[in-house]
Amino acid sequence: MTAIPSSLSPLAALRRLYRQPLIAGGVLLAYVALALLLLLNLDRRDVWFPQYTMLVFPLIVFAPFLVLESPLPTLAKGLSLALLLGVAVPLIGIYDSTYLELMIQISIFSALALGLNIVVGFAGLLDLGYIAFFAVGAYIWAVFTSVADTIFRTGFEFAPLTIGGNTLIAGFNVAPMAVAGTGLITVGSITLPLHAFYLFIFFGVLLAAVAGILLGLPVLRLRGDYLAIVTLGFGEIIRVLFNNLGEPGNITNGAQGLHGVMQPGSAFLIDPVNGIAGVMGVTLRTPAPVASQMLFYFLAIGIVGLIILLAQRLDNSPIGRAWTAIREDEVAAIAMGVPLVRMKLLAFATGAACAGAVGVLYAAKQTFVSPESFSLLQSINILAMVIVGGMGGIKGALLGASIVTLLNLHVLTNFALQINALRNIDYVIPAGSLFLTLALVTALVLYIIWRSTRSIYDAGQQLRSRLTGSVITLVLAGLLATRIVDFHIADWPSQLTPDKYQRFVFGILLVLMMLFRPEGLLPSARRKLELHREETVHEAEDIPDLDQRKTDDDFAAGR
Amino acid sequence: MTSLLDVNGLTKTFGGLVAVNNVTIQIQARSISAIIGPNGAGKTTLFNLLTGIYQPDKGSVVFAGKGLVGLRPDQVNAAGMTRTFQSIRLFHNMTVLENVMVGMHARLRVSLLQTLFRPPAFGRQEAHVRQRASELLRFVGLGGRGDEISRNLPYGDQRRIELARALAGDPKLILLDEPTAGMNPNESETAMNLFRRVRDDLGVTVVLIEHDMKVVMGISEHISVLDYGEKIAEGTPAEIRSNQRVIEAYLGRRAASEHPPLPAS
Amino acid sequence: MEARSPADWMYRFLLFPLGQMLAFIAGSAFILTLLAYGIALLFPEPRPNIVLADQIGRQLPGMVISGITTGFVYAMIALGYTMVYGVLKFINFAHSELFMVGSVVGFEVFLVFSAQAMLLTWHPVLLVAIAVLSAGLVSGLLAVTMERVAYRPLRGAPRLVPLISAIGVSFFMVDFVRALMAITRNDFNLTYPLNGVDWARAPIPLLIGTTTVNLRPTQIIIIVGAVLMLLFLNYFVNGTKLGRGIRAVSQDMTTAGLMGINVNRIIALTFFVGGAFGGAAGALFGMNVGTVTPFVGFFPGLKAFIAAVLGGIGSVTGALLGGLTLGMIESFLNGVLVYFPVFGQRYTDIFAFAVLILILIFRPSGILGEKVDEKV
Repeated sequence: MTAIPSSLSPLAALRRLYRQPLIAGGVLLAYVALALLLLLNLDRRDVWFPQYTMLVFPLIVFAPFLVLESPLPTLAKGLSLALLLGVAVPLIGIYDSTYLELMIQISIFSALALGLNIVVGFAGLLDLGYIAFFAVGAYIWAVFTSVADTIFRTGFEFAPLTIGGNTLIAGFNVAPMAVAGTGLITVGSITLPLHAFYLFIFFGVLLAAVAGILLGLPVLRLRGDYLAIVTLGFGEIIRVLFNNLGEPGNITNGAQGLHGVMQPGSAFLIDPVNGIAGVMGVTLRTPAPVASQMLFYFLAIGIVGLIILLAQRLDNSPIGRAWTAIREDEVAAIAMGVPLVRMKLLAFATGAACAGAVGVLYAAKQTFVSPESFSLLQSINILAMVIVGGMGGIKGALLGASIVTLLNLHVLTNFALQINALRNIDYVIPAGSLFLTLALVTALVLYIIWRSTRSIYDAGQQLRSRLTGSVITLVLAGLLATRIVDFHIADWPSQLTPDKYQRFVFGILLVLMMLFRPEGLLPSARRKLELHREETVHEAEDIPDLDQRKTDDDFAAGR
Repeated sequence: MTSLLDVNGLTKTFGGLVAVNNVTIQIQARSISAIIGPNGAGKTTLFNLLTGIYQPDKGSVVFAGKGLVGLRPDQVNAAGMTRTFQSIRLFHNMTVLENVMVGMHARLRVSLLQTLFRPPAFGRQEAHVRQRASELLRFVGLGGRGDEISRNLPYGDQRRIELARALAGDPKLILLDEPTAGMNPNESETAMNLFRRVRDDLGVTVVLIEHDMKVVMGISEHISVLDYGEKIAEGTPAEIRSNQRVIEAYLGRRAASEHPPLPAS
Repeated sequence: MEARSPADWMYRFLLFPLGQMLAFIAGSAFILTLLAYGIALLFPEPRPNIVLADQIGRQLPGMVISGITTGFVYAMIALGYTMVYGVLKFINFAHSELFMVGSVVGFEVFLVFSAQAMLLTWHPVLLVAIAVLSAGLVSGLLAVTMERVAYRPLRGAPRLVPLISAIGVSFFMVDFVRALMAITRNDFNLTYPLNGVDWARAPIPLLIGTTTVNLRPTQIIIIVGAVLMLLFLNYFVNGTKLGRGIRAVSQDMTTAGLMGINVNRIIALTFFVGGAFGGAAGALFGMNVGTVTPFVGFFPGLKAFIAAVLGGIGSVTGALLGGLTLGMIESFLNGVLVYFPVFGQRYTDIFAFAVLILILIFRPSGILGEKVDEKV
């Protein structure tokens, strides 16, 4: 940090002021009020609406984190969180349901990030196929309740299995098991009401946990980087399976996916939603979808709450300590009596279970499930959440999920919408602003080059690297600068839609996080130590052997 | 008196190299024994074989009447044999206390349901673990330092944490791999007293690998000497000191002939 | 090193590696043929009126040749993984994107050829050489940049850190190329302008016994190109001073540094060579399949990684063996599974992963890798 004593810095003075609960509370209140005021005054018909909403809505999403990090007493924090998540967000949702939809997505991804955090952050196992467990949860609900013609609806017959003319297994018929679209689910001879959805959340948990154990058993003996690639392979296998299980027996309806998946009943929420809307002076043309969204929102934050509790309890227990030990030194851990494979399986299974639970929720909320929703891109998205927030921390995972989901579904989407809106009015970006943007980007790249070469200890090489990097950047920027002219948005290439370029954004995000802040934005104390440990590791590894000759002399001298 | 640890004909080869060759050793309960030998004699490999980190090619290990060959390291730990490492392998970013608490893992009831639902038994166990770990830290002389991050402690103290962590598994026998390496004579002296107290106060049998002859001769009741993977001698310190083969192994044949065995000092 | 006679040189750098390749091909083809007939014994008629043994007999030469072709592509990509792993003990997750970039560069070069009407007037060997070398050069330089920007600052950090960075680089590269394509031509499907070009597309009939197999000229280009480049690599690694540097660094980086080897330069060189091979493979692959996209790297990259692990990661010969074996396995699976109603070819990709998992469980060090216990 700087050499200026903190007492003199105005920033530090402000920080000290903020440490007083009353002042902090006032600031937070003003912040939330301002954010709400801005949000509720946005006009959808405005050409610049996408840009405004892109900037304003995140203010609301980050408010809970500001509360958590504030010096308020615990009770006040809890109350503010309850007010924010339980009152403010639903009200915003009634005003404009896109925001509620975003909050549901953020909650679902928070649950996934928390689950993956157990695997990656707590136990240190890099799982690149995590989305597969989410898929398991989603499909378990979807195959039974979709209106698609799966074998569960049509019944099926097993052809006899023969090898070399001998019948190994005789053929048999299975009667239809599920009757979808009727408000009832029939499984075998049991008929369940739609509330069985809540039961299926538990099935999702169980099935995903079992899948986690089955996948984990063969691979958890592997070293970290192999594990990453194998889990990636497993994720792809599950996706390919769901893609191909449309024939010969139609289980998953193949690549078309399962549509018309049932939702749990939410009719009981229609009246309250209408009532509140009336008080707010908003008329809802179709209150039913809003009611159903409201149900999913509360279900999702409920599940997130449960998972937070689960993660905290696990972290604070012999299991959590064993995971930390495994992460730090597997050999020492197993020698100290920690059963490696069992503990790793436990991490894998609990992580998977979280994904299974929200998977069921997700299928019902989307009413559509297809293999494409469960690609490697999604796995990496969730990994990015855990990393951006900070591996091993619960608040970190939540913040990461919020940031990445906002980027993915809000910022990039609105960026694309903004381009389209401007295309329609044939907007021209003046060369001046483009030039300014280029200058800013160049400055950023130069900064990154200078920061990233800090780890080079050889001064000469550091200088050379910095100079080469800077010269290349400046030459490129100079070349680009000569080409800058007024830009007609209408000329924007139609294939360059920002919302389809998540890989670009998350790729850069991952690299930059690793280069500059591997411990994440809200690091857990221990992770911070682990990821900045160059200094001590060498010391521990190269214990000087005793001078052999000296001991020999001692020995010969009979000492 | 029957022996606590009975190693019979233990053999391990890496590629073409025979690291441990047909080694037979008996360790008496409540004794302090040492295994010595020149560098590369196979001492650490022997420890790794005993604790299940490597699997032997041949031979048997019977500990307190139970065969250990084929068990995983955590099962060996649970059976009552724990160890320290030559190069300190602490969980460097955990606190001192947490390190010791991990060492008790095999003695705990670890259940997912208990962890999630927190019945009173869970709280009692956690309280007990914490208390026992603090006791052990006091025993090794690190009382009150439980909340420090272990990598911030000086080298000698890290060795003490390792000892406390190994003792936390409530062992019958503890294997110490060069526990005084890198210590000055004063520190070695303190460490020796600590090892004696491990045996006398806790009743734990101690087996150590050591290069420092002062420590070896000062503390052990029984010494086994390895050279090129084979046991070339065993006996009391006095016997070992005068053993011609041992002197040859350490100094080479020529030098040994110029140094006739010295009388015990 | 003592001076060597020309005969000795010929043996070390020409006959021995060629013999090795031949042995790997013949061996894997032989074993897989036996397995295929074994399956035919178990299931003589997987579908009505289809006798599996006859089908296998008819397709055998074709399966072997396509196996060799895919095998060499995998081997060339696998080399990049294995060499980088050798020196840094790090899986360069973004290596598959170097392959992709190579295939895109190859496309751009052929587009220039086509625009300048050189496709039919210049000698094919020259055209292919220019395309493959430029693809290799671009990918090699890109690999060096990658290492410099995203990996070198992270050297010495915990294992997962550079791996995550590599995943980021991989993702970034895909979309970066997509963005370039979107800006320059607003299309992601890049079709090599080779249709109707005889030297690249006219099938070459090959008579084996009584059956005629139609070879694609690009298959021959891949095989010849790969063999030449692999011979060069063998010479480079085993016969030159720089190659000795690479071997020294992969043995022990610290000691190599103390012995006066510029470790950073050797690592950059390793990335360059590995990247260049990946890029060259990309161009060869692109010529063969005709159309490439910015996503083309994913599956070949993953399978080449599997090949590297299969052969024994860290071993150059292992990459060759693993690549050829995996290519052959895939080709045979494709040929045989097609006749099974339940499986079909849809599951070929899954079988490659199954192979990976089986190796990692039963022989994590691969076929040629040495078993190394972790030092405690």
